[in-house]
Amino acid sequence: MPVYKLPIGPQHPAIKEAFHFTFDLDGEVVVDVKPRLGNVHRGIEKGMEFRTWVQGIFLVERICGICNTPHTTCYALTVEELYGVEAPPRAQYIRTIINELNRIHSHLLWVGILGMELGFWSYFMYVWRDRERVMDVVEMITGNRVTTSAIIIGGVAYDITPEMEGPIRRAMDYLEERTKFYKKVLETDPTIRARTQNVGVLPKSVAIDLCAVGPTARGSNVKSDVRFEEPYCAYGEVPFNLVTYDTCDVWARAMVRIDEVLESINIIRECLDKMPNGPIRLRLPRAPPPGEAMNRVEAPRGELLHYCKSDGKEYPYRFKARTPTLANIPALCEMLKGYYIADIPAIVASIDPCYCCTERLIFRDVNSGKVWAWTYDELRRYSLKWFKSNGGRRK
Amino acid sequence: MPLSREEQIIDDLKRYLGDKIIKAEKVRARRVNVEVPLGAHRDVIKFLKERYDIRHIVTITGVDLGEDIELIYHLAPDNRTWLLNVRTKVPKKNPVIQTIIDILPGAVFYEREVNDLLGVKFEGHEIVGHFILPDDWPEGEYPLRKEWKPKEGIPRARV
Repeated sequence: MPVYKLPIGPQHPAIKEAFHFTFDLDGEVVVDVKPRLGNVHRGIEKGMEFRTWVQGIFLVERICGICNTPHTTCYALTVEELYGVEAPPRAQYIRTIINELNRIHSHLLWVGILGMELGFWSYFMYVWRDRERVMDVVEMITGNRVTTSAIIIGGVAYDITPEMEGPIRRAMDYLEERTKFYKKVLETDPTIRARTQNVGVLPKSVAIDLCAVGPTARGSNVKSDVRFEEPYCAYGEVPFNLVTYDTCDVWARAMVRIDEVLESINIIRECLDKMPNGPIRLRLPRAPPPGEAMNRVEAPRGELLHYCKSDGKEYPYRFKARTPTLANIPALCEMLKGYYIADIPAIVASIDPCYCCTERLIFRDVNSGKVWAWTYDELRRYSLKWFKSNGGRRK
Repeated sequence: MPLSREEQIIDDLKRYLGDKIIKAEKVRARRVNVEVPLGAHRDVIKFLKERYDIRHIVTITGVDLGEDIELIYHLAPDNRTWLLNVRTKVPKKNPVIQTIIDILPGAVFYEREVNDLLGVKFEGHEIVGHFILPDDWPEGEYPLRKEWKPKEGIPRARV
């Protein structure tokens, strides 16, 4: 049996984080995967050394466009630790609300993308329509839809006024009802179940050994969530549940995310109920004293770590970030082994890789040297056709 | 007063691996620093894995301190509830250190990242090609070292 090499990637011009994968194929089945990263390496860690601590906020939130809030939260917490201060309680609650709004929008975005990958376009359209309600709430609070710069060193930039409370609660009620409906679709739709159940299985022990994080780990029944492990902001004061599923497949990772949306809605309601009064930010000197600090935050995709070292000057001596997608790629490579080419889109999407890669693929027959190319769109169409011809089932 | 989990692990490390540890201290709640001499990090990490079942490594941070490069292995014990930092210094003139990927397979990417950006070589970890730098990046240029400046011959992004 000849082994085919199937390079996928590197770039999807519309979406950040381009990856390049080389798949070794035995017929239709993936045997081995080799990732190649770095297509969007922008030198942010070096760049941080040439920006003041305050300017750093605006650079770290551009590490990831979708989950920018966890980045600013993590950076602000770390720099505050260097100063030896903590943001006021009201700021912590507002941070929690903004982080959870970010998680809802990110998870809904992902659930829509899953629908798109499976060819379920109406699901994608409906989910993304409802996601707009979250964006409206974020815009109302901060003035921006996505990159908000709402979280700053020492607190938050924008307050949640009493007039905003009503619209936020109404949006949450609406989203709760809709999310329950989407959950029901995931649970009952035969097409979605056939395409996602028992696909991309990642056993629990492998997930732990490969240091998988976030919903990828929780879909494999690993109880890992930084909001529980190291409560930051107001997470220690509001009750919520840690969602895990034990089927370890793409479906489990989808269910974890949709359940987390429901949890986030409850966290936001709790925060609005318990919100203390008081100032929302501190005034701090320009540079923190020498020292080092590190903090972890639960981003929508998993555990995020920021490390800062200060030598007392206006610029950071060293800044380091470890994003969740990097931690999940070894697990992703493991998940893909043993499944069909047609499963690649759903499995790659299942780690929510800041949706990446795969605008262009080249297929190369090692024996004849024949090379042909597919765009990502063609791969998806091939995948849909393949499943249609098999009656939506695997062989 | 019973010892906290952090203090218990520090105690154990000092008792069983006392000669291989320069300093072990609790910095604050949920943060422990363990400083080890070059070459002893494998023993410490292996001990922690076998005795406390620490299988999660968050990342490896490399910091250029001038003469040395400090490597910080951020481990997360007790179901990832706090951070234990194993720190060791590698001389910049001969930056070679033993790999830990046979103990913690999750560290593969983090070692490659440090190798690419700071030029630390990991003995026993076969690294082919660049990890995040471009393929045409020149040899011997390590952008996260303090003395590094952008210069001629470095591939630049086309915009």
